[in-house]
Amino acid sequence: MLQSILFGLTTGGILYIIAIGLSLTFGAMGIVNFAHGLVYTIGAYILYTALSSLGLNFFFGALLAVLVAVPVSYVIEKFVIRKLYGQSIDYAIIATYAVLLIGVDAIKWIYGPNPLPISDPVGESISFMSLEMPVYRLIIIGISFLIFIGLSLFFKKTIVGKIVVAGLQDQEAVRSLGINVEKYFAIVFILGSALAALGGVLYAPISTLDPYMGFHILILCFAVVIVGGMGNLRGTAIAAFVLGMVMAITGRMWGPAADAMVYVVMAVVLIFRPIDV
Amino acid sequence: MFSKIEKNPLLVLAVIAGGFIIFGYSTSLPKITDFMIFCIFVLGFDLIYGHMGQLSFGHMLYLGAGSYGTAIFANSVSPDPFLGIAVGILTAALIALILGLVVVRTSGACFALLNLALNEVGAFMVLVPFPEWTGGEDGLSLFFESYGFLDFANPTFLFFFVMASLLAVSYLIMRFVRSPYGVFLKATKENEIRVRFLGYNTYVYKLITFVLSGAIAGFAGALNTINLSYTSPSLIDPTRNVEVIFAALMGGAGNVMGAVIGGTAFMTISNYLARYIIRWEMFLGVALLIFAFKFKKGIWGYLRRV
Amino acid sequence: MLLSVENLNVHYGRAQVLHEISAHVEEGELVCMVGRNGAGKTTFLKTIGGFMKPSSGTVTFRDQKLDGMPLEHVALKGIKYVFQDKRVFGELTVRENIELAAFPVKEPMDEAIGKVLNIHPKMEKLLDSKAKGLSGGERQILLIGRALIGNPQLLLIDEPTEGLAAKIIGQIVGILLQMKSKLSMIVVEQNLATVSRLADRIYVMKEGVIIRDIADRETIENPSLFEEGL
Repeated sequence: MLQSILFGLTTGGILYIIAIGLSLTFGAMGIVNFAHGLVYTIGAYILYTALSSLGLNFFFGALLAVLVAVPVSYVIEKFVIRKLYGQSIDYAIIATYAVLLIGVDAIKWIYGPNPLPISDPVGESISFMSLEMPVYRLIIIGISFLIFIGLSLFFKKTIVGKIVVAGLQDQEAVRSLGINVEKYFAIVFILGSALAALGGVLYAPISTLDPYMGFHILILCFAVVIVGGMGNLRGTAIAAFVLGMVMAITGRMWGPAADAMVYVVMAVVLIFRPIDV
Repeated sequence: MFSKIEKNPLLVLAVIAGGFIIFGYSTSLPKITDFMIFCIFVLGFDLIYGHMGQLSFGHMLYLGAGSYGTAIFANSVSPDPFLGIAVGILTAALIALILGLVVVRTSGACFALLNLALNEVGAFMVLVPFPEWTGGEDGLSLFFESYGFLDFANPTFLFFFVMASLLAVSYLIMRFVRSPYGVFLKATKENEIRVRFLGYNTYVYKLITFVLSGAIAGFAGALNTINLSYTSPSLIDPTRNVEVIFAALMGGAGNVMGAVIGGTAFMTISNYLARYIIRWEMFLGVALLIFAFKFKKGIWGYLRRV
Repeated sequence: MLLSVENLNVHYGRAQVLHEISAHVEEGELVCMVGRNGAGKTTFLKTIGGFMKPSSGTVTFRDQKLDGMPLEHVALKGIKYVFQDKRVFGELTVRENIELAAFPVKEPMDEAIGKVLNIHPKMEKLLDSKAKGLSGGERQILLIGRALIGNPQLLLIDEPTEGLAAKIIGQIVGILLQMKSKLSMIVVEQNLATVSRLADRIYVMKEGVIIRDIADRETIENPSLFEEGL
């Protein structure tokens, strides 16, 4: 049981890292960004390239993945997201989904459709009270906590963070002070995308690497964002860990139902707390 | 010229029938049968996307419900194809009713994603818990009874049966749109609050539309099962929702001609283009982007201005 | 002339809300917009502020055309908007609210805080409280103070005394009169007594049109003289 909880925390941590960008984009721009799944996938595949072709170690591979995510998300923001401001949400969904499709096909083209392996970079476990806990998973949990703290500080203490918090609440009022909110939302978009790439990197060794991995994680992340509340940083964190636990515990009792259970939770939450976007 | 066609329902039906007969006999009847079944699905989807104004990212659920409803009925109860179709439609309609009670209360992103989540749950239900009934990953192979010339294994009969179905559904939608319900739906799409202020229960109209849309999708699913004598999880696959969304957008949302054109266009691309362009999915993504940004009204949207 | 509006037409979708509005504000003037609810006063203010685009007509601020300019730029040109409904950034502290206002105009924080404390010294105790905990009057004062940061030349103020007790209204009127020497203002107000105390000039609006431009002191100080027009 304890093992499940620890696994749940790992999954929750990763879901948080990926979902936070999605939540911010949703809260700030009202856009459901399917392309987020693409940046996640790119992060994982760049890591693979770094490890297999470039001979880098895991740390530098991860760094490269996150760095590549920055210009990629900048392009997506400038040429797609920005054009979707103020448009009906349906077009945002369709357009970002199209970007995801294009990107996934490009990845299939370059790397082939078959799953690729990435091994656990640490490869060790520690034993604690009759538990075997892979160190790598503990590192993931640690990183997600650090990111949570980092983001909290960012949004509470920095001026950019405060602008974004105020902008999430009342965009018009922030603009009326003479601040170009769009620019700061764009910065946050890129930050969120970089985190998605990081999530892809971290999750790769404990899941499978295939071109469609983005679709799969995306719906789980939508569940996190919806359960936690759009643009709600703390809510996203709580929701991520709760859903991670749901997945771990369900997975233990009835393996394949783990994902489906998340969707059931999401549906139930939407029923009792519908969002009007 | 094109806008005049639209105003006359019988002319619309004639154009659709004529078009498919020509298309079918000049290429291949079975292939065009596939096309027409997909068009029925698009028509069902367009009822909520174009007419009600809400994007669902999980309409495959109802296609799958109809398909599996028919399949399980044929497998376990009776191989009568007509009863099978009826069961398929009813299954989809019933699921749409139960889920719709809740789903229809939402809108926008919530609506889109809730439908996706339910589609995923549906796909799971088909794949995992009841493999004896649903065939799990492999699906079900089926046999359908024939009655003299009413033989679905006969491509010509199947072709005209599906065409009759398509024309019936098209006519139904055209009547629906012109009825008081249809008018209220259009008003609700434009400004729901105002319609509610006038004292109308928009929830009921939306629910009826949702159930009808699910039933039509289920009809397409049922026809699909009969067409292939086979069903599989790919008929409830959530990642395939993009196909019907693309078709509706590309053809032109909110009208019968648009839905049929869109369905035909999509099937043409996926069937023929795939032979010449290997990376046709990327092409689809690019086309989707272009349509979402530049040609929101779709092909028919621009033609009808002529 | 500080601000000039000519033949302004504004639509909400297909409905026309402002019809051929022409008005002007001189340096140092405080102009009041009065009229019934729905007359178009807020729309007028919002169009000048850049929140809405006119369908036709011009808005000129010190020889520069403002129409179509994005609202961030309008603010940086020296026109600041004070919202209705006391809209502050509730989740941020008073100090942070001021910080956000000071940031785009690069005003040092002590100067910015000073401006707010100048109009309401008691705000000093509230600097580190969350803005949403402030009373209605305090929030309104914060909004006004915030708008003073960056030394604007024109303030657009939407119903500053709405929902406030008489004593607080008096306070706010005092603050606005104090500000008169440094900048010009267009104030939308429903409370005619307040209008009498504040206005140098009054525009009376009805159904999207300006029906009267009152400049003489006698009429201004006697609300009953223009009340029926509403």
